[in-house]
Amino acid sequence: MSQRIVVDPVTRIEGHLRVDVEVDGGTVRNAWSSGTMWRGIELILEGRDPREAWLFTQRICGVCTTTHAIASVRAVENALGLEIPLNAQLIRNLILIAHAQHDHIVHFYHLSALDWVDVVSALKADPREAARIADSISEWPKNHWRELAAVRDKVQALVNSGQLGIFTNGYWGHPAMRLSPEVNLLATAHYLQALEYQRKANQVVAILGSKTPNIQNLAVGGVANAINLDNQATLNMTKLAHVRSLLDEVSQFVHQVYLPDVIAIGAMYPEWLGYGAGVTNYLAVPDLPLDTAGNTFDLPGGTIMNRDLGSYRRIATFNDEYFRDGVTESIAHAWYDGDWTRHPYEGETVPNYTGFEDNGRYSWIKAPRFNDQPMQVGPLAHVLVGYAAGDPLFRKYVDHALTTASSIAGTQIGVNALHSTLGRHLGRAIRANVLADLGPKHWQLLLDNIGSGDTTTFNDFEFPRGEIRGFGFHEAPRGALSHWVVIDDGAIKNYQTVVPSTWNAGPRDERNRLGPYEASLMANPVADPERPLEVVRTIHSFDPCIACAIHTQDVEGNEVSRVKVLGT
Amino acid sequence: MTPQPACAVLGLGNVLMHDDGFGPYAARSFGAAYEPHPDVAVVDVGTPGLDLVPYLMGYEIVIVLDTIRLDVAPGTMKVYGKPVLLNQPPKERLSPHDPGLAATLRLLELQGTAPREVVLVGVVPEAVNTQLGLSDAVLASVPDALSTVAAALTRLGRPVQRRAEPDAPDLWWLRPAPPSDFALSPPLSGR
Repeated sequence: MSQRIVVDPVTRIEGHLRVDVEVDGGTVRNAWSSGTMWRGIELILEGRDPREAWLFTQRICGVCTTTHAIASVRAVENALGLEIPLNAQLIRNLILIAHAQHDHIVHFYHLSALDWVDVVSALKADPREAARIADSISEWPKNHWRELAAVRDKVQALVNSGQLGIFTNGYWGHPAMRLSPEVNLLATAHYLQALEYQRKANQVVAILGSKTPNIQNLAVGGVANAINLDNQATLNMTKLAHVRSLLDEVSQFVHQVYLPDVIAIGAMYPEWLGYGAGVTNYLAVPDLPLDTAGNTFDLPGGTIMNRDLGSYRRIATFNDEYFRDGVTESIAHAWYDGDWTRHPYEGETVPNYTGFEDNGRYSWIKAPRFNDQPMQVGPLAHVLVGYAAGDPLFRKYVDHALTTASSIAGTQIGVNALHSTLGRHLGRAIRANVLADLGPKHWQLLLDNIGSGDTTTFNDFEFPRGEIRGFGFHEAPRGALSHWVVIDDGAIKNYQTVVPSTWNAGPRDERNRLGPYEASLMANPVADPERPLEVVRTIHSFDPCIACAIHTQDVEGNEVSRVKVLGT
Repeated sequence: MTPQPACAVLGLGNVLMHDDGFGPYAARSFGAAYEPHPDVAVVDVGTPGLDLVPYLMGYEIVIVLDTIRLDVAPGTMKVYGKPVLLNQPPKERLSPHDPGLAATLRLLELQGTAPREVVLVGVVPEAVNTQLGLSDAVLASVPDALSTVAAALTRLGRPVQRRAEPDAPDLWWLRPAPPSDFALSPPLSGR
């Protein structure tokens, strides 16, 4: 008999992501991803000044604030045909690099590591043996056995207190948990250390963006940072030196802790390099522009179809027509009025909720398509595109990760293994390492440009009479993000956002093709339907960011069971 | 760099989502109505999930303004302390927003960097949907919420004074959209 499992933490207003799977014989046979991406940002932006759109869009999501701000100013600049000063590009780039590293570190350690790491098992670890293992894979100085023993004692104290605190909801002792106590202890220590390093990355954003979590330094036409290396009140040498030292500290953590950890976990769960591929069409957009117009980039973009790296097609510039003309969204299975597939410039958001129907409409998320194909976006897409493009940095870290993982696992692990649940984690760690190398580079480019006498950070402009259209994209931590704006007589007429989690978490389209989350769950094993750890592993590997809209404390609420198992 | 203040008043919520904007609205109103205290940071933090870490880590006292889910009349205010927050059952993590205030606090407790005192000043929303501005019921609760924050700070040894002349809070999202031909006459430039 098949069973239906609903992973649905949706007890709060408006809900979150809900995942339904049908399991038969311990394997997922069908899947639905439903989310509440209903925001209708254009309802708020219509008629407003395009210059302040970014202030509103950065409130769409409290975690992805910076990314929506950047995509918005890029969209308006694209509509205006406006270049921005090189200093402004580089300052934006440094913010994007730091934000992405912060996000990748938090995602791995604090949002998904506990799917693989059994904290309770760490209590049985021998700290000296754990330190020996650590030294064999990394030079990280904080892997000393005394440090590890202190972490073990902290966790022991927590267990002795009778409550596990942050770890209460873990899948401890689940049959799919398989790391040794020593590796579990090491990962738990890094889980705590990561808090400090994500905070350092966040400080970079705060210094350059004037404030976090909502940065204040952006402007259509550039940035609002004044540059004077000798002035206390502006972006000066003291602040830039602080930015550099923070970037270096974060880079060391990403090189010596994050990547070795993910490689080791990948090598110790090799079967998860075989599950979870799902949609193997990939889309990434170029980012970290190196000139004022956005014609050359440090991070390549493009598409790969059907896991064939040879099918790589480049997305070249901020004006790329292949990207601009390729994006559509379908509402065939989403709760909106009508039944259409449209380009974002023509998109609309008229809600029409009709209840959850397996074969009908079941999500607030639209289904984006690229040249009519479902696409997976995210760090893995970016890494595969970078690898296919022959980018030396991506090649370096992909080859390093695969060689090291192969040697730990004692078996050959090739690029094909990246099309998987753990491949998405590896992709994210590889991307963080590429960014760790590019951070100091862009810092130096900024310093050199200022040194040449250029302190410009803003280009003036005027809106023309009549209608103009523009799109802005950004390769965000969760993947390709694009904003689309139609401006009429200087006021916003339409505004649509096509965000990474809609590419990945979107429902079936008009031809009933599954979205990436759904496809990735097919054929996943499920050992225990009451504790569907395997489903959670695959969904977490995408770094889902769905419940962007609201924040309500549920202090006295009674949590309804988070996992429901229904016989069908 | 200036040293980090020991206390923070944080507004949590989404200004695009009607009553969910209570936290940011109240935090900004508090900053405008009371004299700034060098040891108290007042921040509208939005909906940061685990990104709350930098706003809790290493602070001694944190006062949070947010909406609460409770089956009573909209606009009702309730105040909670740290023990109640820490006793909430953790939730399944399916998005970076799920480790909310309680989970972030637990994480920092384990690491040893959690605030000594946490006070949640919560207000029950009437409706949460894509819309700017607060409902009348929630708006009416704001003065009470601000006095409660001030009283909590005073009790915790950081007395704050009402400004003789309150500033206008920067509620930028409530500025009306400009008239349709605003951009063209006089010619609209970048700033």
